Amino acid sequence: MDLTLTFRLGEELYGLEVADVQEIVEAPDFDYIPLAPAGYLGAINFHGTILPVLDLAGYLGLESSQRDRRVIVLPAATCPLGLGVTAVGRILPLEREKLLPYLQNREGEAYIREVFNHQGDMINMLDLARLLASLETH
Amino acid sequence: MRVEISYKFILGFIIVVGSIVLLNQLVPHLGIPEAWQQLVSIGCAILVGLLLGWAFSKAFTANIRHLSEAAERLSLGDLSKAIRLRGSAFPDETSDLASSLNRVVESLRDLVGTIRTSANKVAEAAQGLSATSQEMTASSHEVSSTVEQISRGAETQAEMVERSSRLIREMAVSVELIAGAAKKVVAAANETARTAQGGGETARVTTEKLRHILVEVENNGRQIVSFGLQVQKIGKIVDVITGVAQKTNLLALNATIEAARAGEYGRGFAVVAEEIRKLADSTSESAGEITSLIEAIREQGGEVQVSMKQTMVEMDAGRTALDSTVTAFDQIIETAANTQTKATSIAELSQKQTQGAGKMVEAIDEISKVVADNAVATEEVSAATQQQTASMEEMAHSAQDLSALADQLLDAVRRFQLGSERG
Repeated sequence: MDLTLTFRLGEELYGLEVADVQEIVEAPDFDYIPLAPAGYLGAINFHGTILPVLDLAGYLGLESSQRDRRVIVLPAATCPLGLGVTAVGRILPLEREKLLPYLQNREGEAYIREVFNHQGDMINMLDLARLLASLETH
Repeated sequence: MRVEISYKFILGFIIVVGSIVLLNQLVPHLGIPEAWQQLVSIGCAILVGLLLGWAFSKAFTANIRHLSEAAERLSLGDLSKAIRLRGSAFPDETSDLASSLNRVVESLRDLVGTIRTSANKVAEAAQGLSATSQEMTASSHEVSSTVEQISRGAETQAEMVERSSRLIREMAVSVELIAGAAKKVVAAANETARTAQGGGETARVTTEKLRHILVEVENNGRQIVSFGLQVQKIGKIVDVITGVAQKTNLLALNATIEAARAGEYGRGFAVVAEEIRKLADSTSESAGEITSLIEAIREQGGEVQVSMKQTMVEMDAGRTALDSTVTAFDQIIETAANTQTKATSIAELSQKQTQGAGKMVEAIDEISKVVADNAVATEEVSAATQQQTASMEEMAHSAQDLSALADQLLDAVRRFQLGSERG
């Protein structure tokens, strides 16, 4: 059974498959990254590796006044990157039959693959591949 | 050479006899006849006797006439001329008479002059006396009216004295009332002082109690502060617990992720991790509740502290008010004591005043007696003055009578003419 990690970006509820998560770490402070592109909060020391952290809400154009101390770290195999979110939620079992397709009306804007209806809450499943591709192009 | 008349007659007779004798001797020698001789002798003797007698009687008659004329003038009051007889070689009694008459005239002159002078003086004196007695009458009239005024004044004085006496008696009554009131004031001041002392004592005891309460409230405040500190410590512990719960939550999340990565092998571990996560969540929830409770306790403690501070301020104000109450009671006691002293001295003074008023009444009674005596004396003076006035009037009459008498006297002596040398 697949699991999904929920988190909030502003008022929106998002989800990311646990398979795409390496670890969740506490990061009260960020180190400054010289010449970093816009949208990055800074860097953290992750088990001896310097890891840039992306302000996901800001990148997706969502209003967020606060930020969780905890940062979601992606597996190094996928991309050595931390994601700063408004608030880390919990881990839920992902029921495939309850996934709804997301209508892509505007290309490359919301980075949502599909929507998971969990007991009435709509969880936007993050399209990580597209997000990373978008980061590559930037 | 003085020869008395009788001797003169004898001398004449002697001369006649002598001449007869002498003729008898002489005639024969003349050649005259004898027959004629006797005749011639007798004729010659008679002639000598006639001549001698004529001359003598003429002189005597002249003297007597002078004397009788002088006596006539004297009887008419003419004293101006002295009697002068014809000079004679042989003065006789007529000369004596003349000189005696002259002396009489002289004496009368003196007398009349003296009478005139005296009468004039008497008249002047009588006039002066009359004027004086009139002045004295006027004066005694004035004295009489003055005495009447004095008498009226004495009546007014008697009335005034009576009124003064009455007023002083009334005053004495009032002073006694004052003395009574002052005694009541003394009693009231005593009562006030006693009550104020009781009040002051109560206020002092209350102040003491309030001080104790204030100390206890301060202790309570300190206890509440320390309670707040304890609660803050609890809050810190809860923070620690919260931190632990968050970390546990994180660990549980990561454990779940690791378990998912382990696949089928990690399934049991995932269940354990889920349980741990739930525990951490409920711990976090409880810690949140505790934190909110602590917050509420802190708020309430703050409110309690504020209200305690306010209470302390109010109690302090109450203590100040009580202190001023004590001071006010002390002042009341002092004032009451002062009032007592003053009222006592007023009572003493009133007694002295009462005594003084009694003495004044006595003195005024004496004055009243003196005034009555004065009135009597004034009446006597008035009577005496009236008598005096009457006497004066009589005296004026007498002086006028005297004046008239003097005039009569002058009239009586006016017919005497004293000539130019006397007036």
